[in-house]
Amino acid sequence: MTVGGGAGGAPSAIDPKKLRIYGLGGALVGIYLAAILNSVLGTDIFSILAAAGAVAAAVMGANAVRRVCGYGIGTGVPSIGMLALGMGIVGASFGLSTAEQLGVSMAGVIIALIYAMVFGYIVGAIANKVMGFNIPIMEEGLTDLSGAGAMAIIGWSYAISGSLAYADMVAKVFNTGYLAIVFICGGLAILHPFNANLGPDEKQDRTLVDGLMVGSLAVVAVGLCSLATLSTIAAIITIIVGVAAWYYFYVWYYRLVKRDAAAVVGTGLLPPSAL
Amino acid sequence: MNFDALTIVYILEIIVGGLLVGIGVHFVPVGGAPAAMAQATGIGTGTVQLAAGSGLTGLLAAGLMMSVTDNIWPILASGAVGAMIMMDATMMTGGWIYAYAVGAPFASAKVNYDPITGYSQPPYVAPGTVGQGIPTVCFVSGTIGAFMGGLGGAMIYYPLMMTNHNPSLSALFAIGIFLVNAVLASWNIQGTIEGFHDPKFKRWPKAFRSCLVATLILALVAVTITGGA
Repeated sequence: MTVGGGAGGAPSAIDPKKLRIYGLGGALVGIYLAAILNSVLGTDIFSILAAAGAVAAAVMGANAVRRVCGYGIGTGVPSIGMLALGMGIVGASFGLSTAEQLGVSMAGVIIALIYAMVFGYIVGAIANKVMGFNIPIMEEGLTDLSGAGAMAIIGWSYAISGSLAYADMVAKVFNTGYLAIVFICGGLAILHPFNANLGPDEKQDRTLVDGLMVGSLAVVAVGLCSLATLSTIAAIITIIVGVAAWYYFYVWYYRLVKRDAAAVVGTGLLPPSAL
Repeated sequence: MNFDALTIVYILEIIVGGLLVGIGVHFVPVGGAPAAMAQATGIGTGTVQLAAGSGLTGLLAAGLMMSVTDNIWPILASGAVGAMIMMDATMMTGGWIYAYAVGAPFASAKVNYDPITGYSQPPYVAPGTVGQGIPTVCFVSGTIGAFMGGLGGAMIYYPLMMTNHNPSLSALFAIGIFLVNAVLASWNIQGTIEGFHDPKFKRWPKAFRSCLVATLILALVAVTITGGA
């Protein structure tokens, strides 16, 4: 098997372009479907769809982390995950706030995504041009990461607030402090998969399934938070779906770990002559 | 949103705050994983964790002061002092562990004589390592770094508070700006640095330019955000 994590980038079975479409598309579809179904049917039980969309974005972010960190950035993987969420939180609050001021709260997600991706591209360009990283995919990777961070924050925040309106987001997610949970759980879903699986035998499918697993745990966490803000039934649906998804991906991840683990061969004790 | 003179002052404050954070990171003795094994000088964790730790303490201190006064000077001072206390407590307790538990003498591998105490360093650097513990110069440098980080964090928090009047929103937004600058600076020093005496410290102009561009883009949108409701 080829060596991942060396210069030239990590090998991948799933094309990053395809993952980007799945990640961003999944996040946008999830958040908007949740927003439309919730407002049309006058309920909040579809908030789980936004949380699932956020998981898709986080997996895309995890793939961007493994692509960029495969070149070696010298500071450890967590720094880039925190950067992604830092850029994401600015993009998310700017997008939602601007959309509210323009009077179209539904457009907030798109504004946040565009701002976050443009800012990610600029930070990537700074890293390459000013700091001299010379990583060919730095701009692309940070664009993905920043977009993933913004989508993860909005998706999981929506699963707590049950509404895209900025005032609801501020009242139920920011002022309550639940955003800190979204921040750290979302950051873990993006940075932990590569941090835990890196090494010469890193494989894309194992890393991404780890991302799905940690993302599902984040769904459970936001489900617990939403007990205080949404109807009990909506919160319980989020928690149950999160736990079920976590179990499913945990079993899958365990299978992949066993597949990739080096074989341990019993060689017996040392022969008596060697003692 | 109208861009009056006050808004421009707020934008400038956020930019200066971001730059202080970015430069302040260069002063903090970050040792990373090697320092955690007492094989390198500095505190045994990554830049982002240290910067975030001191910055958040500074934000909390600034936020507490902001709840009693709107005067910028005590707010900036309490942010800076809060971050310094956090960083010094970390370095001191870390130093106890290096001295009394690991049993390593504090020595810097980057200079022959400690610039502050004048003590000779190379005889105390164990073979195969790049120094151990937190020598005096690193402690002083770390305190300066925490001062700049806390001041920067408070300087980002204050204008945000003045524009959106929402403490939790301002704090989380300030953390976002803070993390972007801290990560850019930590990329600039490639993970580890001993302090202002380290040759890597001369790279700070690169971080200055990077943080300037990044914070400018963040500051322009930061002042348009409303407090919601």
